Amino acid sequence: MESESFSHHISRRFNAELEHLRSEVLRMGGLVEQHLDTAVEAIIAGDSDMGLRVSNDDHKINRLEVDIDEECRKLLATRMPAAADLRLIVMVIKTITDLERVGDEAAKIGYLASHLATDRERYAAYSELKALGEHVQEMLHDALDAFSRMDVDDALAVIEEDKLVDEEYDQITRQCISLMMEDPRTIRRFMDVTWVARALERIGDHAKNIAEYVVFLVHGRDIRHTERETVLQELEAARSDRSASS
Amino acid sequence: MPKVWTWTLIRYGGALAAGAFIGFLYGLPVLGALLVALGLLFWQMYNLYRLERWLATGKIRDIPDGDGVWPPVFAKIQFIKGKVKRRGKRFRKLLKDLRASTEAFPDGGVILNASHEIVNYNQAARLLLGLKNRSDRGQRIENLLRFPDFVDYLNNPGDRLAVDIPSPSTPETWLACRLIPYGPDQTLLLIRDVSQRVKIERVRRDFVANASHELRSPLTVIMGYLDALADDGRIPDTWHQPIRVMQDQSIRMRRLVEDLLQLSKLESGQSVPKDRVVDVAAILATARKEAFALPEHPEAIEIELNSPANLLGEETELQSVVSNLVSNAVRYTPADGEVTIRWTVDAEGGHLEVQDTGIGIADEDISRVTERFYRADGGRARQRGGTGLGLAIVKHALRRHDAELEIRSRLGEGSTFVCHFPRDRLALS
Repeated sequence: MESESFSHHISRRFNAELEHLRSEVLRMGGLVEQHLDTAVEAIIAGDSDMGLRVSNDDHKINRLEVDIDEECRKLLATRMPAAADLRLIVMVIKTITDLERVGDEAAKIGYLASHLATDRERYAAYSELKALGEHVQEMLHDALDAFSRMDVDDALAVIEEDKLVDEEYDQITRQCISLMMEDPRTIRRFMDVTWVARALERIGDHAKNIAEYVVFLVHGRDIRHTERETVLQELEAARSDRSASS
Repeated sequence: MPKVWTWTLIRYGGALAAGAFIGFLYGLPVLGALLVALGLLFWQMYNLYRLERWLATGKIRDIPDGDGVWPPVFAKIQFIKGKVKRRGKRFRKLLKDLRASTEAFPDGGVILNASHEIVNYNQAARLLLGLKNRSDRGQRIENLLRFPDFVDYLNNPGDRLAVDIPSPSTPETWLACRLIPYGPDQTLLLIRDVSQRVKIERVRRDFVANASHELRSPLTVIMGYLDALADDGRIPDTWHQPIRVMQDQSIRMRRLVEDLLQLSKLESGQSVPKDRVVDVAAILATARKEAFALPEHPEAIEIELNSPANLLGEETELQSVVSNLVSNAVRYTPADGEVTIRWTVDAEGGHLEVQDTGIGIADEDISRVTERFYRADGGRARQRGGTGLGLAIVKHALRRHDAELEIRSRLGEGSTFVCHFPRDRLALS
């Protein structure tokens, strides 16, 4: 789309380049979404092949991140963008980092799925894991949709969702702990399950980050002076959140 | 000249003459004519003013009256105005009907322009794809439908007719997306809900996979006991022959089950990633070795390696393609015949050819030999120990490598099976 925010350039090439950048990010997002879907399905179906495929394919996402990063640097150097364009590029650089980490988490889930699949006994709380997985998939999907539509309301809704995901994660952890105490032989398996839940919860956080970048991108343009503090705070929060996690 | 113009000219001429005459009585004929001309000019201006007002605001019916040439002009404009209005009404109705019918269409339709931006879409597309009314026009479709399969198809449709993707808005729903280019730089994206078909396919595939899997365990037990019986010295001689036949048949059955399992795996249809290099020379050599291990085989099995290029894909699958083609060729070629395995690369891509001088295939059978269990000549083929699934496996494995199978054959002279791999499946080092 020739979004209003950057359709005003005299250089039509610059427009096209920014559009291309956006499409590339969303393409990467699509790949990450697919990996996440496959990883969650591998857990639910107990399909070790599927899980290994995700963990082996992670390099594709990494490759895209490097390419997009390169493209951003080129745009910064050659076009010297300002205002909304600069914000878009900064946002893209941040978004791809988050997407790449989602890819890593998905790969981790895929790997754990191949572990768990070898267990003949099925974990009783798979339905909870499935619910958490679907919830997180939806969050990531909505965050990317919000980015492609530049829709602040949708982005804010994603940020709200993250609280629910955290609660679901807590529940699964508690359940796992009590099951482990009941029968110590299952500790190994439930450790894996906890790791999967943890990875899903992290993906939720990354989706939230992306949604926050969307708010920053759009708000920074619309309500430049009044909302600036809030936007900076949001940014700061996102940054500290990420540095706490890594 | 129409009569009304003649009359008007005569009248205006008369009025001017009368003005000049009255002026002449006062000794100023030019002034008199000028005054009359001025009056006529104002009269025309007035009529023009009424015409303008009428066109700008008036209803068609409220036709201004006038004299001279004006009434016919007014009448003609009224006629045109009425016609335009009626036509507009008709077009509006036509458009409304057309829109209503596209809205009623059960399949989703999205019109895309040259850069894949959404121009318009119908109700079904909105529901199936979860589009939003206010903001999604002008959005690039791949920004909203981000499935890698779909994006590949969009950028490079090739000869694929459609791709199946999960619906972004409704869980458990599958959509077949088809691109139909039309007009200058416009494309219609047709979306159909195929959840039912996808579900049935999955059920069938799961059934075949599960059934073959379940068949394997009892078969292993039977084979174990048969092996024990064959080695048992207490069994009377008359039973040796039947036991051997049973062993052969159970081996055949195990091969069948294995082929079925492999086929059900291959059928899942996704394209194999291009990240692994497969050594073509090695798989050809392996296939040749396997062919020599068969009980009956022609003396001459030759490999012609015309290119150092390798393939990108899954080694086990490509191995089974070559092995199946070679063992097929060997099975139908007499001992003094010849089987040639050829690998060439040209501008179009790589070509893997297995040529034999065997019995050949009749024209009417060529299109059907890749069907499961299809026998060009039932009895003979079964004697030769095939499972009837080999070529089906070849076809599906090739499809997963974006390759195509071409069969050339003449009855009694031999057959040639060629696998055409596209260029981007080649590893040219």
